[in-house]
Amino acid sequence: MSHDAPSPATDAAPSAPTAATDLRYIRYDSSRENEYVAAMRQLISKDLSEPYSIYVYRYFLYQWGDLCFLAMNGDEMVGVVVSKLEPHHGGPLRGYIAMLAVKEEYRGKGIATRLVRMAIDMMIERGADEIALETEITNTAAMKLYERLGFLRSKRLHRYYLNGNSAYRLVLYLKEGVASMGTLDPLADPMAGPVPAPAPPLLHGNGHG
Amino acid sequence: MYPSDQHAAPTTRVVSQSVIPRDITDKFTQAASKLRTGQLVKDEYFTLFESVGALEIMDPKMDSGYLGPGENHAQALEDDYDITQELAPDEVVGIMDKLLCHEMAWHMGHPLSQTLFTSIYLDKLLWPVPNSIEETRFDRGNLAEEKLPLVNLVLRAYCLALVKACDFVHARVVSEHYYEEEDFVTQLYNRSLLTPFDVDHFYQLIDQAGSWVDQSDIDDTLKDAIKCRLVFRRDFLAAVEQDIGIMETKSTEHFESCLKQLPILKKSFDLGKPVPDAWSLKIQRKLASTLPPRPMVNVSPEDALAHLTRLCEDAIDIKEIVDYRGSYNLKNVTNVQAAVWTLLSRKAQPSVYIRSLAQTIIVNDLTILGSVSMKQFLYDELAELVLPASILLQADMDETEMPSDPRFQIAKRMDGFVKRFAQAEDLDVQLRTLSREPPLTMSNGEPTFSYPLGSWCYHQKLIQLRLIVQLGFELSIYAPEELPGMYWFLNYLCVTHIGHLDRIRTFILAASKLNLTTPGEKKDTVERQVAFQRSLRHLDRLTNHLVAMDAFAIALHALYVLLARHKLLPNASSPNAYSSDRLRYELRMKPFIPISLPEMVPYEEFRKEATLEGDSDVIVMDRATKAISEARKAWETTLSSGAFIPSEGSPAPAIEGDWTRDIKDTMRACIATSITIETVKKALSGARKESTKEGPKVGIQVEIPEQGSKSRWHDWWIVPQITQKTSSK
Repeated sequence: MSHDAPSPATDAAPSAPTAATDLRYIRYDSSRENEYVAAMRQLISKDLSEPYSIYVYRYFLYQWGDLCFLAMNGDEMVGVVVSKLEPHHGGPLRGYIAMLAVKEEYRGKGIATRLVRMAIDMMIERGADEIALETEITNTAAMKLYERLGFLRSKRLHRYYLNGNSAYRLVLYLKEGVASMGTLDPLADPMAGPVPAPAPPLLHGNGHG
Repeated sequence: MYPSDQHAAPTTRVVSQSVIPRDITDKFTQAASKLRTGQLVKDEYFTLFESVGALEIMDPKMDSGYLGPGENHAQALEDDYDITQELAPDEVVGIMDKLLCHEMAWHMGHPLSQTLFTSIYLDKLLWPVPNSIEETRFDRGNLAEEKLPLVNLVLRAYCLALVKACDFVHARVVSEHYYEEEDFVTQLYNRSLLTPFDVDHFYQLIDQAGSWVDQSDIDDTLKDAIKCRLVFRRDFLAAVEQDIGIMETKSTEHFESCLKQLPILKKSFDLGKPVPDAWSLKIQRKLASTLPPRPMVNVSPEDALAHLTRLCEDAIDIKEIVDYRGSYNLKNVTNVQAAVWTLLSRKAQPSVYIRSLAQTIIVNDLTILGSVSMKQFLYDELAELVLPASILLQADMDETEMPSDPRFQIAKRMDGFVKRFAQAEDLDVQLRTLSREPPLTMSNGEPTFSYPLGSWCYHQKLIQLRLIVQLGFELSIYAPEELPGMYWFLNYLCVTHIGHLDRIRTFILAASKLNLTTPGEKKDTVERQVAFQRSLRHLDRLTNHLVAMDAFAIALHALYVLLARHKLLPNASSPNAYSSDRLRYELRMKPFIPISLPEMVPYEEFRKEATLEGDSDVIVMDRATKAISEARKAWETTLSSGAFIPSEGSPAPAIEGDWTRDIKDTMRACIATSITIETVKKALSGARKESTKEGPKVGIQVEIPEQGSKSRWHDWWIVPQITQKTSSK
């Protein structure tokens, strides 16, 4: 997912223009769902050929509304980040940034970076081990934003999006030892059998090994 | 919340005798009224994937069955297009070419629903599913061919031959493990691509259509245009029908004749007149699918033809892999790997059909290249690399299961491979007692055995680990600041591999010596000696290639270390990033953690090695200079030893050509690296003279060339691009 609205490369650079003074950053409030979700959908679907159904928004907001942050200019919603946090295949506690969008005329003010940082900080507070997301490979602005925050490209996802474009999966480890945490990998080699093989010791200490 | 009473389509009640339907509308409404807006009712198995897949009923963007206000059922599903109308010859050409574009769009990975299945003509032929070839008519039998023969004979024959060709292509792809399902949509929406009907009917129809066109009074240029399209259809159908036939016939004549028609076809593209009304998205509503409505895919005739041309060329060149087994009795894994790897990594990537075809040809019914049994193939390979002239591989001693995956795919299944690797070593221990292999005493004084099967597996594993790292460069996975570390890791894998080949060589030399000193038939001794020599030559070849990669990796590693030290290397992460070098290293090494051999390098050790800690700039520079000159020599040797064994008189000229281009690109990258090293050397020594209070001023700027850019000489060897800073000082 994560159809990140492009935000220019200047976004978090030290020389970036200071954020508009009357911008407020708030957490999503489920009691105002009618008002917020409509604005959010409008903001996010603007750059999408195929909008997400209402179920996708509800899926995130009902379960992880506290990981959703909004940038408001007065009553106008100008930026949003939607995310979730749950154990990944029974392994590490993985945060996932699902959607990020900033209104076009508000880009370049560091709003997207600020929103993502708020989401990441909240995930860290809640004990996240790692954070992942996907972004279209042509969306260099979004990729730069996340890479500046320390994300690495871990995988290229071939033709990931419906428009045929590929994506990169970007991952950020927050703790040591995450890579060795076991997961119940549904794609594990079925031929390999359930028991992990012991390390083959035979070539160790045997000639060049 | 959705207006369910207004535009609902008439429902069909299915009432079985054992089920008594009960209206629960009221109960449901009552229960739903207790929920808050936005409240999610779901079980714990409801995933993000399902929420994304959910459709909003009555949203025209998602619900392909949605009828707008005032739209009635008939209007929504049926088109006004009259398929019994007469078509002018130029319109027939227009429709044929549009069909070809859609066919290629499907080959490229788009679903039938957005390509061929938007054709009203095809829809009439395929739905309802015809029971006989006679039923495959646009008007379903009301009109004979004599009426409007241009439509009912010529266009029909073209359409049918096209669908049948799609049927063969579909069958080929679904029979194989193509790489990513995103590459090809096998969904047929409950329609048949005329699978049950014998292909001869289709040839007959095309021939009839051809004779009719010959005798018709159609204007000559248009007549030629239609004729060439029919000839192409016949050839293409024959080509895909007999695609794996090349293992027997060694003939690629059908693909070759397709290729001959394509320039003629291209020249007459302009003659065709589009018939936009003959295509409709309404057909999507009738296809068995839960997907939202999707737009028609429009591939230009130029792109379609380019794809088709490449497909035919690739199919012809696949024959070179097949040829390989016959004339050269060297059906070894290394050669087949080299040929397949080279062919399939052509740019642009060969189509899914070609990849599937290649897989079928390589392994079909446990037979390699249609003639060698899988067991023999592996035995030959083992003999070549680790067990020359060994009693273990003699034909009557072979009730052994081979611990390997023969599909040459990159190590997607490393877990399974590791486990089989362990099995191989167990097997080695058992076999050792049978072959009475004498141990060798190594320099540390310990007796050591050869572990031939385990050694072979480890050799394959190291190849795959290296490819994983190199493909990372190709896929632009690594951030600029990771480049020093990744080239160091590549160097580490190459060194490990070279050491492993040395180990194998040691055992073969010992066996060879033993052969010469053991009394026996002279003829047998000589024969065995020939086998040992061949293995040693093979090992030398492999070693040289690894030395070439290793030296290049060392040079780039050293160069990037210098750039990083002098803060010239761009950084993707900012100083106030959330991660650290250590965490980034752990993430990058994640795929290798479950692998116990070679051992994962602990972070501290990696950091020291990757930054060349303790080595002065001068030492690092010297390391880069020496390594790149060694790399250039080793790549020369690799080039001259050719893609295959033996190197003379290659039986696979097209594939060898691709291989040579790849090596030459690598050598260009080597030269560019030499020049870059010199430039950096100069800039750094110049900077030392001009150092200021803040440290030395280096008047250069570094950029990492993007993939596809001119200065990216090779996907795997990224040479930093240096420019002089104009505004310095």
